[in-house]
Amino acid sequence: MQGSQQLEEYLLAQLAAGERTATEQIYKQHYPVVTKWIQHNGGSEADAADVYQEAIVVLYEKSQDEAFRLSCKIGTYLFAISKHLWYKKANKRQQDPVSLPDDDRQEWAYEDDANAHRERENYYAQLNAALEQIGEPCKSLLKAFYHEDKSMQEIASGFGYTNTDNAKTQKYKCLARLRKIFHNVQVK
Amino acid sequence: MTEHSMMEVAERYIAGSLSQDELNTLKDKLAADLSFANEFGECVNMLRGLQSSGAQKRFTSMLKDIAAQEAKPATKGRTITLRAFYVRTAGIAAGIAMLTSLTTYWAIQHNNKKIASQYSLLKRDLEKYQRSQNQLINNIKEQATAPQAEVRYTGTGFALSNDGYLVTNYHVTAGADSVYIQNREGRYFKAYTVGYDQQADIAILKVEDKQFRFGKGEVPYTFAPNKRKLGTKVYTLGFPQDEIVYNEGYISAINGYQGDSSQYRLEISAYPGQSGAPILDANGNVLAMITGKEEESDGTTFAVSSKALARLVQSLPKDANLRLPKSNKLNHLSLEQQIDKLEYYTCSIKVYKK
Repeated sequence: MQGSQQLEEYLLAQLAAGERTATEQIYKQHYPVVTKWIQHNGGSEADAADVYQEAIVVLYEKSQDEAFRLSCKIGTYLFAISKHLWYKKANKRQQDPVSLPDDDRQEWAYEDDANAHRERENYYAQLNAALEQIGEPCKSLLKAFYHEDKSMQEIASGFGYTNTDNAKTQKYKCLARLRKIFHNVQVK
Repeated sequence: MTEHSMMEVAERYIAGSLSQDELNTLKDKLAADLSFANEFGECVNMLRGLQSSGAQKRFTSMLKDIAAQEAKPATKGRTITLRAFYVRTAGIAAGIAMLTSLTTYWAIQHNNKKIASQYSLLKRDLEKYQRSQNQLINNIKEQATAPQAEVRYTGTGFALSNDGYLVTNYHVTAGADSVYIQNREGRYFKAYTVGYDQQADIAILKVEDKQFRFGKGEVPYTFAPNKRKLGTKVYTLGFPQDEIVYNEGYISAINGYQGDSSQYRLEISAYPGQSGAPILDANGNVLAMITGKEEESDGTTFAVSSKALARLVQSLPKDANLRLPKSNKLNHLSLEQQIDKLEYYTCSIKVYKK
């Protein structure tokens, strides 16, 4: 048992670092149980896959917090989060609220994480909305740096700046501009 | 400092690459200039947001890729065994540990300076909330204290099980020397706390007397597993005075004080002493428990949802042997009949304190 807990911790550390092999293993391991449950509760196969993926993203987000220690098995966590996500999704879709099986105690666990995820998604959406409004070359430059994880050297040569310092200066100017736009987006 | 050089400092601050001198200069400036501190906080937040949203984007696309690959006819999956895994990842894990301890350091600095961050913003709301909540509680307490000679506070409670488990607000019983409940017949029974959630403001009590029963049968109401919709009509029974009092209203917001998702906001009159009173819908489902009200208004009341309550019940040790009632015996009754039954399972709570 000790060993399996250790394995889970390493898998999580790997997931936190965005490592593919571990992510793949987690994905495969818990896929059947979670997606079966969603399909039993009125979801299509595609719904189930979407919700399950989102739950893994929630786990990833949580794993970014250095204080994070999973108090249960990865599978249990993914299952609980998936239920919340599916419940919200199903409710949004229909007039009548879908109720989760009452006898299932696990349904109450980790709702805060699901909510925090939603808030974070909103925040990111606002940031992205600001990024879409900023115009070129800022939009491509910032996306290359933050979304594609390109180095400043790559960006300097890719965008035709004479040296890295020029590209950096441009990046900071873009960020200052982004902040103004982001501020307006948030106020709306 | 120009805006773009502020961004540069913020970026290096997050990365932890400022020199000690630069860091000291920054700290002085943050302490001295509040508007700078705010702006700087915004920069730091935004940069962190960009970094984490970027990382999440990359992670999500990798995940999509994995999903697409898995959806294809199955190839035999590789499983990582612990041993091989350990060797490969130990170094990486140590690296992560170092990195995170650094960020912890920055985060602490950050909070000390009271710079708004995405997280501390949430936290600050919480602090604000707690402050106001305390004010609410204080108000309730002060007003409730006055008339009683010995009993210091009163509140309302309601049964979780017929054999003597009941629930009320944490703030009602906090710091009490002893707690008694008074049942429908006016008899007093001593009770003790078996569990509480200070943040959600819930306390679960148990009547000491093993022979004690609230009514003839099991608790007649059930607890709503999910939040109800806006506008749902609700009613409550409580003890703002010695006699039980009925009131009705509706759910005016799905989230409570400052958007607290563990609460509802209700439009229903509540008076001191009604802390801990059940909120029920027309079918006799308990949706929530009254915890506090808005100071300036008469009718705006906050109530902690039955989900938070169920969570606490769930966290009790197994030997408490408490299970929430599963069958609803009220749903086909008229309101008057419901109230008549409910009166047995609702009680006044008397708190003694030196």
